[in-house]
Amino acid sequence: MPSNLRNRWVASKNDCFCVGVMRRNQQDSHEYDRTVRSGAPLTTPPPLQGRRRILGAAAVAFLSAVCVGAQDAQPAGGTNHIVVIKQVHFNPARVTVKPGDTVKWENDDIFSHTVTAEDGSFDSGLIDPGHSWQRTFTNTQTVSYHCRPHPNMKATLVVQGGKNTSQRASVTLKWSPPRTPDEFHPILVNFTAALLPLALFSDILGRIFRRKSFHHAAWWMVLYAAVITPLTAAAGWWWKLAEGSDLPAKVITVHQWLGTAAVMFFVTLAIWRWRIHKRDASPSFAYLTFTLILVLAVVYQGSLGGRMVFGK
Amino acid sequence: MKLSRLCFATVFTFAVLIAAGEVKTYAQAPTDPQIAGIVQTANQIDINHAKLALQKTSNPQVKEFANQMISDHTSLQKSVNDLAKKLGVTPQDSPTSKQLKQQATDETKKLTSLRGDAFDKEYASHEVAYHQAVIDAAKTTLIPNAKNAELKSAVEGAAPLLQGHLEHAQQLEKSLGSK
Repeated sequence: MPSNLRNRWVASKNDCFCVGVMRRNQQDSHEYDRTVRSGAPLTTPPPLQGRRRILGAAAVAFLSAVCVGAQDAQPAGGTNHIVVIKQVHFNPARVTVKPGDTVKWENDDIFSHTVTAEDGSFDSGLIDPGHSWQRTFTNTQTVSYHCRPHPNMKATLVVQGGKNTSQRASVTLKWSPPRTPDEFHPILVNFTAALLPLALFSDILGRIFRRKSFHHAAWWMVLYAAVITPLTAAAGWWWKLAEGSDLPAKVITVHQWLGTAAVMFFVTLAIWRWRIHKRDASPSFAYLTFTLILVLAVVYQGSLGGRMVFGK
Repeated sequence: MKLSRLCFATVFTFAVLIAAGEVKTYAQAPTDPQIAGIVQTANQIDINHAKLALQKTSNPQVKEFANQMISDHTSLQKSVNDLAKKLGVTPQDSPTSKQLKQQATDETKKLTSLRGDAFDKEYASHEVAYHQAVIDAAKTTLIPNAKNAELKSAVEGAAPLLQGHLEHAQQLEKSLGSK
């Protein structure tokens, strides 16, 4: 014990921060790589013609954005993560895990500590030096926790992302209002993903059947989309900032800027559509083409988002 | 009650000022054996006060805090002793450690005379002030003057622990309703 003890007190600050989250199951990181390289299956839609193509695109956009696509079930049990308590610090101070994963806190310090959630959802009780405490997290949440005897020891646990079997088994029907960005963004995305393809669809129907009411409906949908999409993007940025570095770098970069660009295009589209609406005209071919491109971009955008959530 | 608090605050403030002054004048640069002695003394004082608290209090929060102080400062004391042994440093008395002991004797007298709620509040607020003073002393005197790198980093390493005790003591003080 004495020599150990001394090392602890002697260890420089650099030493104590080198302990990262050790992933015992390395499968996850490989999965991301494959996702990036394999390209986007949704950007090359099947060669449907005319109306069917648009219908297909709209359906795919809706489905991918709503995120109900089939997922590969991950092995139950999840990954193990370790947080080392040393020199009156939690290392690392922020851990991101997936639902179903287990986090183990190892007390490598010479003092007793606790792992106590701010919201009261868990409390380890005193963990004596050399002992550890672990817990499996099933619900998506961001929890700040601290050590009761040493309130200056603060850290954060983020449970998010790919739901595995045990997570789905614990899903309940209980109503709870959305509070966190990972709840807001997927909800808002539905509106964006539904309104734009339907607006295009409605305009095309209007041209085919020569009905003004279809065009009016299209104008309103484009307007709603232009109002809601900035909120969707804002929630997305919020989520990203809350998440930090734990996202696949390439995918999130494309997703965040494509999303931000989409906001501009939605507003442009709304102005364009408004001018057409004021003339009480049918939208031009150029407008419809522009909208179609935007729909395809949204489909791709939705598939990127889905991959980051479900890790496919 | 208020008067006694005021008296205490005044006495304490003077004590800290005197201690700080003493550090500057007499012990401008405490030697490593003196630094080890100061750390040991500071540890022992907190352990003694916690033991007194365990005898006198019936408040579970105060008991929990006192038990923690005994446990943490005993561990810290052991690691400091081990380190001193390893470095061949024999802890020595200094004006600062003598000052600390004198203040502790006075505080013990005061605590002994109090009972119940009054004791709990006095103990909590003294723990706040005491840890703050020790943190300040470590920052301004002990760390800058420690010659041996291991001793220096040991004192630096104790800072987050003392900060934790300070914040815990502040919580305790708040929940006891003494401001």
